[in-house]
Amino acid sequence: MAKISLSVNGNSETVHVDPQMPLLWTLRDFIGLTGTKFGCGIAQCGACTIHMDGEPARACVIPTSAAEGKEITTIEGLSENNDHPVQLAWIAEQVPQCGYCQSGQIMSAAALLKKHPDPSDKEIDQAMTSVLCRCGTYPRIKKAIKQLKNI
Amino acid sequence: MQNTSRRKFLQLSSATSAFLIVGCVPGGDKSPKVVATLSPTMEGIDLNQFISIGKDNSITLFNHRPEMGQGTYASVPMILAEELEVDIDEVHVVQSEANREVYGSQMVVGSRSIQTEFEKLRMMGASAREMLKQAAANRWDVGMEDCTASNGTITNTNGDVLTYGELVEEAGKLTAPENPPLKSPADFKIIGTSVARKDIPLKTNGAAKFGIDLSTPGMLHASVERSPVFLGSVTDYDAAETMKVTGVRHVFRTARTVYGNKREGVAVLADNYWAAVQGRKLLKIKWDTKQLEKISGETVMKDSYAMATSDGDELFGKGDVKKAFSNAGQVIEAAYETPYQAHAPMEPMNAMASIGENTAEFWGSTQNPNGIKSFIAKKYEIPEANIKINYTFMGGGFGRRSMTDVVEEAADLSAQAGAPVKVIWTREDDITQGPFRACSLNICKGVLDDQGKVHALEHKVIAQEIRNQTGDNMTAGRQLMGGITTDYLIPNLSVKGVLRKRHVPISYWRAVYHSTNPFAHECFIDELAHEAGKDPLAFRLDMLDHPRYRRVLTEIGKVTNWQAPRAKGTGKGIAMVERSGAHFAMVVEVSQKDKTINVDKIITVLDLGICINPDTVRAQTEGSIVMGLGAVYAGLTLKNGSMVEQNFDTYPMLQIGQCPEIETVILKSDAAPDGAGESGLPTVAPALANAIFDLTGKRIRKLPMDLSGLI
Repeated sequence: MAKISLSVNGNSETVHVDPQMPLLWTLRDFIGLTGTKFGCGIAQCGACTIHMDGEPARACVIPTSAAEGKEITTIEGLSENNDHPVQLAWIAEQVPQCGYCQSGQIMSAAALLKKHPDPSDKEIDQAMTSVLCRCGTYPRIKKAIKQLKNI
Repeated sequence: MQNTSRRKFLQLSSATSAFLIVGCVPGGDKSPKVVATLSPTMEGIDLNQFISIGKDNSITLFNHRPEMGQGTYASVPMILAEELEVDIDEVHVVQSEANREVYGSQMVVGSRSIQTEFEKLRMMGASAREMLKQAAANRWDVGMEDCTASNGTITNTNGDVLTYGELVEEAGKLTAPENPPLKSPADFKIIGTSVARKDIPLKTNGAAKFGIDLSTPGMLHASVERSPVFLGSVTDYDAAETMKVTGVRHVFRTARTVYGNKREGVAVLADNYWAAVQGRKLLKIKWDTKQLEKISGETVMKDSYAMATSDGDELFGKGDVKKAFSNAGQVIEAAYETPYQAHAPMEPMNAMASIGENTAEFWGSTQNPNGIKSFIAKKYEIPEANIKINYTFMGGGFGRRSMTDVVEEAADLSAQAGAPVKVIWTREDDITQGPFRACSLNICKGVLDDQGKVHALEHKVIAQEIRNQTGDNMTAGRQLMGGITTDYLIPNLSVKGVLRKRHVPISYWRAVYHSTNPFAHECFIDELAHEAGKDPLAFRLDMLDHPRYRRVLTEIGKVTNWQAPRAKGTGKGIAMVERSGAHFAMVVEVSQKDKTINVDKIITVLDLGICINPDTVRAQTEGSIVMGLGAVYAGLTLKNGSMVEQNFDTYPMLQIGQCPEIETVILKSDAAPDGAGESGLPTVAPALANAIFDLTGKRIRKLPMDLSGLI
C-alpha cells in the first residue's frame, strides 16, 4: 500500500492503494469515477481510455503509481455540461447503443481530433481501430467524427 | 433508477378492466395492480402502471423493458405517448420496477419487446387518454365525443381547453375504460418517426450506470477461479498465499448451474476488486477434470460427421425426399461448419447480491430481472415481495444476460460471507467459460428437375440443442431448425436434426440458430442456382409465393441494381431469412483488393411490419451486421476440454476499419410490428460467401473464413 496523489479532472485526489493496481481500478473503486470502463484488462479494447497529459492512454494497464504527477482526464472531466464537440456529435448521430464502450470511443475520438482536426478515413481507422464496440456502432462513430472535421 | 421503495401498490378496480383487456398477466393473478407513483421529479398521479401525470403537466412514462442497447428505452414510451397524445420530447422516461404481476414479462430476449407489448402499450396509452377525456367531459358537462385529446390537452367543440395536469386528479378517480379506442395507424404522429433516444446523453458523459458500476456499503468484491476444463470439480484447494494479500477477506468454494450442469469454482472475496484478482492468482486448486481434456474441436467435428450418416429426427417434412434422391441422376451435396462463439458483451459479466435472513437484494445488468427474483426466492426460500431487484442499463446482452448463473455466484458468496458481494468476471472468464453459441455441422442435399428447379432438398443439422443439454433424451427438437426457411416451394423438402450432447455449455446468442443454419441453407440455395445455371435472385423468386419474401427480394434487386453486369473484380451475393417475424434480404458487395477481398457494402431490405423508431431499427441492423461479420472472421477453438482463445487479442472483435458501408432500407407496412433486434445477423455469412463465389468461383463452407488467400 502506498499514498499516491493524483490529479484527476483538475482535482487533486489522494488514495492509499497498491501502487501496482491499474489506474482503472483506482479511478473506479477508490475515486468513484465509474465512467471509465473495464473491458479486457490487457489494453485490447479501449473501454478504459483516458487522457494522460492530453494523450489517450489505457487505464487498465497503467499502474496507479505511474499516473502520479500527470494530468488525468476521464470522460467525466471531458466537459462540464456534456457539450464537448465529440459528445454533441455522438448525441446528434445517435451513436451509442448499450453505451458501455462509448466513454473509450469518445475519449479516443477527442484525442484524435485534437491531434488531427481533419482526419482522413485512414487516420480515423488507425486511431479508433482497437476501440471495440460489440453493438456495432462503428458506422455512426465514423459519421460523427467526419462531421467534426475542423472543429 | 427509480427508487422503488418509495412506490406503493394500490389495488384499484379501475385498472382491472384495462389489464384484463390486454390479458398480459401470466400466472393467473386476476387482481392486477396500479402503481401509485412518486415520480423522481414531481408528484404524479398514476393513471395506470405505465403513466403518471403531475398537476404541473409533467408526464412520466415507465419503461418496463431493461435496456441493453436495443432502444426500447425510446420505443416503449413512444408507443405510450402516441396513444396518450403527448409530446414525446417532453416526457420523462423512468425505468419501471421489476414486477411480473404488474408488468407481465420483462425479459428482453428474441427481439420480443415490441412484438409482444405493442398492443398492450397502445391500450395503456389509450386508456389513460380516455380517462382524461372523460374527466374533461364531466367538468364541462359535455359528451366524450365533443372532446379531443391533443398534445397534453383536451379541447371541446366550444374551444375550451384543459391541460392533462388540470384533469389528472379527477381522471385518476375514474374507472379505466374497458375497451379504449385505438388510433388508426394512419394517424400516428410519433410511431414511424425517428425519435432521439433519451438514454443516449447519459451514455456520452459517463453518467449511465451499468451493473459493474454499482456499489453498496459493506460490499465485498469477488473474483472466481473456475475449472479450466468445462465440467471440472474442485478436489481441494490451498488459499494460504491468497490470504496474505492485503485486503483479502475470505476464500470460499462456490458453484453456478448452467443448464443442469454444476460449474464449480473457488472465490476470493476482498475489500476491492484488484485485491480479489491478485489473491485469485495465488490459489492452488486441485481439479477433478473427469478426463474431459480429451474433448477438442477435432473430436467434435469427427463425431458430427460420423453422426451425419444417421437418419436423425425429422423436424419438418413434405413430399418424399428419400424417393426423390434415389430416383435422381445427380444429388448435389455440401457440408457447412460453424464454430463456437462467445457473447463477449463489452461489460464483463457481473452481479451484486445481498442475501439476508428473509430479505434479499440484487443489483446489476440483466435481461431477466423477474427471473432473478424468482431464482433467489426459490433458492433461499424468501418471499418475492421481500426481494428488491435493482436492474441497470446493460453493457450489451446478446442473450448472455438472460441467465441467472452469475447471480447465483454472487448470492451464494453473499450468503457465505454475510455481506453484499459483487462478482466481476474477467474477460478471460467470459471467453473461456461460456456458455457459448453452439458449433454446428449442416449437411445439405438437393436435386434439380429438368427445368432446373429444386425438386428435393434435405437439410440436416448436427448440433447441440440449448433446451436439451443433459439427460438421456436424444430426440432433436425444433429449436435446431431455426433459420431454415420452409417457404421455398420445393415439392420434396425435409429438415432433420441430429441432437448431440457435449460437455461444452451452450446458450442463446444473438439470433440463436439463425446465426448458423442460414449460412448453410442460403449458401446451398446459391449452389443449386449455380448448378441450374440461373441467377441466384431470380432462382429464389421462382420458388416463392410468400408475399413478404417476394417483396424484400424484389426491392433489394432494385436497390442494388442486381441485374447490372458486374464490374471487373467485383462480386455480389444475396441471402434472405425471417427472424423474429422480420423478413429481410441482404446483398453483400465485395471487390478484389490486391491479393485479398474487400467487403465494400452491405445492403439490407427489411419488412418488419409497423416500424416504431426507424433510426433504432437501422442501428440494430448495423449492429447485427457488425456482430455477424465478426462471427464470419473469428471463432473459438476447442482444445483439451477448454477454449484456446482467452481475450480480445486472440478472439478478435470486428474493428472499425473492417466495417463496410451499411445501407438499411425499411419497407412501409401496416402489419403488426415484428422483432428488430437481430435482423441482418443471419444473412451476413451466406450473402458474403455467395459474393465471394460470385467474385472468385470459390465456395466457402466453413466458418470462420479468411478473406486473404482466396485470390
